[in-house]
Amino acid sequence: MRTISKKLNKEEIEAFGKEVDSLREEVMAKVGKEDADHIRFIYKTYRYTEVLGRGLIHFSFEPISFIAGTLLLSISKIINNMELGHNVLHGQYDWMNDPRFNSRTFEWDIVCNAHQWKFYHNYMHHTYTNVLNKDHDYGYNFTRLTEAQKWKPVHLTQPFTNMFLAMNFQWGIGAHGYRVEYLETPKKLRKKKTLKDYKALFFKKIELQLLKDYILFPALAGLNFPKVILGNMLANLIRNLWTYAVIFCGHFTENAESFTTDEIVGETKAQWYLRQLKGSSNLDGNNLFYTMTGHLSHQIEHHMFPDMPAKRYREVAPRLKEICAKYGQHYNTGSFVKQFASVWKRIIAYSFPDHIATKVMGKRKKYLEPTVVLNQPSFQVSLSTEEKAVTLT
Amino acid sequence: MKTFPFIYNEPREFLSFLQPKEWANFFLGELNPRFSVTATKAKVIEVKEETSDTKTFVLKPNWLWKGFVSGQHVPVTVEIAGRRVTRFYSLSSHPNDRYLQITVKRQKGGLVSNFLNQNIKKGDILELGEASGEFVLPKDLPKELLFLAGGSGITPIHSILKDLQTLNYNGKVTLLYFVRSFEDIIFKSSFDLMQKNVSWLTVHYVFSDTPKEGYASGFLTKEILEKYVPNLKSSSVYVCGPSPMQTKALSLLEGLPIKSELFLLPGQNVTKVKKEGTVDVFLTLSHKTIQVKGERSLLEELEEQGIYPQSGCRMGICHTCVCKKQTGSITDLSNGETSQLGEENIQICVSRAESNLELEL
Ligand code: FES
Repeated sequence: MRTISKKLNKEEIEAFGKEVDSLREEVMAKVGKEDADHIRFIYKTYRYTEVLGRGLIHFSFEPISFIAGTLLLSISKIINNMELGHNVLHGQYDWMNDPRFNSRTFEWDIVCNAHQWKFYHNYMHHTYTNVLNKDHDYGYNFTRLTEAQKWKPVHLTQPFTNMFLAMNFQWGIGAHGYRVEYLETPKKLRKKKTLKDYKALFFKKIELQLLKDYILFPALAGLNFPKVILGNMLANLIRNLWTYAVIFCGHFTENAESFTTDEIVGETKAQWYLRQLKGSSNLDGNNLFYTMTGHLSHQIEHHMFPDMPAKRYREVAPRLKEICAKYGQHYNTGSFVKQFASVWKRIIAYSFPDHIATKVMGKRKKYLEPTVVLNQPSFQVSLSTEEKAVTLT
Repeated sequence: MKTFPFIYNEPREFLSFLQPKEWANFFLGELNPRFSVTATKAKVIEVKEETSDTKTFVLKPNWLWKGFVSGQHVPVTVEIAGRRVTRFYSLSSHPNDRYLQITVKRQKGGLVSNFLNQNIKKGDILELGEASGEFVLPKDLPKELLFLAGGSGITPIHSILKDLQTLNYNGKVTLLYFVRSFEDIIFKSSFDLMQKNVSWLTVHYVFSDTPKEGYASGFLTKEILEKYVPNLKSSSVYVCGPSPMQTKALSLLEGLPIKSELFLLPGQNVTKVKKEGTVDVFLTLSHKTIQVKGERSLLEELEEQGIYPQSGCRMGICHTCVCKKQTGSITDLSNGETSQLGEENIQICVSRAESNLELEL
């Protein structure tokens, strides 16, 4: 694929990797109480918004409180999935030794089973980011996003299938999970039974979610049950649309690159960093927006440091950007609207055969010239002396 | 129940999926940090200074506290720099007392003992576990008892002596308390009072570092035992203190009925091994392969590499850290035994990697 970043030689790549590594070390050394407090605050917000949301839906007799309740429930589900679930399942808070925030014990409010998700996301997607045929998240098996994927007439429908996926995103995520696990089982070991076993976990989770949202809570409302069903449906829909939008902006924007399996043989850590950078794209916004995306607004930082407590990406980003500029590497970022529009441009463009697709996508910018940057720390975080004094044994 | 086969077959699991306990804990915790339906939490209602490096914490536990027997210990969990850490401490109060109390001496390099002494104040919340331990009095009280205490090893003994007092014991008790200096004596006033009130107790302080006139000094030896314990042969012995003292006591008192309790800092029970090269540990749930040296416990070596499995006591007691080992062999640090190669559950805080391993983590 064409790249708009400067081609680096071996030494440059390794030097780049070293700088990224030391950035990581520096920030990880600061992880502590501040991060624990943050995730507890998020947990609290998730619990309160859910109770308030469900309460309002339940006791609403006019549309305003019903809408408020539905929105609160959507927010709760978004927080549960993004800033809490996604990050906890990455093991970002395992060090706290708190079962509520431990990747081994956490389960989230979505039809996707957490264990399956950890396999295809933490392992497959984060290791083989944007590698065609290996990263199953790349286009989710039906979206064509690059010339490297062969065009078939069925791709003409992808704008519609994507709209459908957006509305039912959690189901896509869930069904994706067991299939990836199946596909990644060595062919010899793939039997009907394994598929069924993998599927069973998904189905179990479906049952739970359906029971909770569409039977248990509606039943509590007695004859008012249709209202509760509607509220839950809308909340799930809003959460689905939001997560779809955020997640698709992560890797499928115009300038996000894809790779082939040949390119990654014998890849070093530094090369891996570089691939994460080129394959991901960020979203600009304010702190509230960052939190609501689970800091996937900082997709690049997240892909380089998936196990770093997500809020830290905010302080990492400007420094990483400096490093990228120094090495002439394109740092893909933009407003949500701009990035999301470019995702859709790409989805539509590649639904057509190559000659049309390339025309729509247009010419790419030239290589970026490396800029000289002063090595000044762009941020400073101070810990209280007490915290510094405590070393973990 | 074709529509919901899983709910039908595993109703309990589904109920727990709905997180009733988590919800209850959350809202109870919002009301009062001491409230919970799963965790025994206690409020610190008083902090007493015993010596310059020892403090007693008086605790008011919540309704989940099940009580204890004099001489038992309890896991105490605190949060340090955002991280939960657990250590065991003996209860120094009497079971009949209105409140619980633990007495903690700062250990050199001890994370939790220092934290407790430095940072915990009145009103703070500590998380406790269930009391346990065999360092308790037998049903039929022996006629003669000898207690050997070293340093902070006095805490469970203090509780036991108080217990004897309430039981109206009428035998003979000798307490030999080895302590660095006069200033380091813990519970001095409490023992003074006890000695005034009962006839069966004699207390001897032995100073190991700073001698004082009128008191014995030195370490545990045959001479000291013979000097202060005339009827040694017929005594039941309780020993609690640092490990050199324990080893000494065990060899001096061979043949006598002994109960001993040894408190170790995590990692202290590890016989230091030096190894060449590394072994691979494959973590099957997170799909990571890491190299460890196999010199210390798996838990420590994993944490060093930024992987934090769940843990609690870190000394093989609580089983929080249990995980399935699929292949490979480990050495159990608590007894030095090497395991089989096959599948089994291991406690990673007291297991050292012997060969390449596959862990369900
Ligand atoms: S942490 Fe308690 S047994 Fe391992």
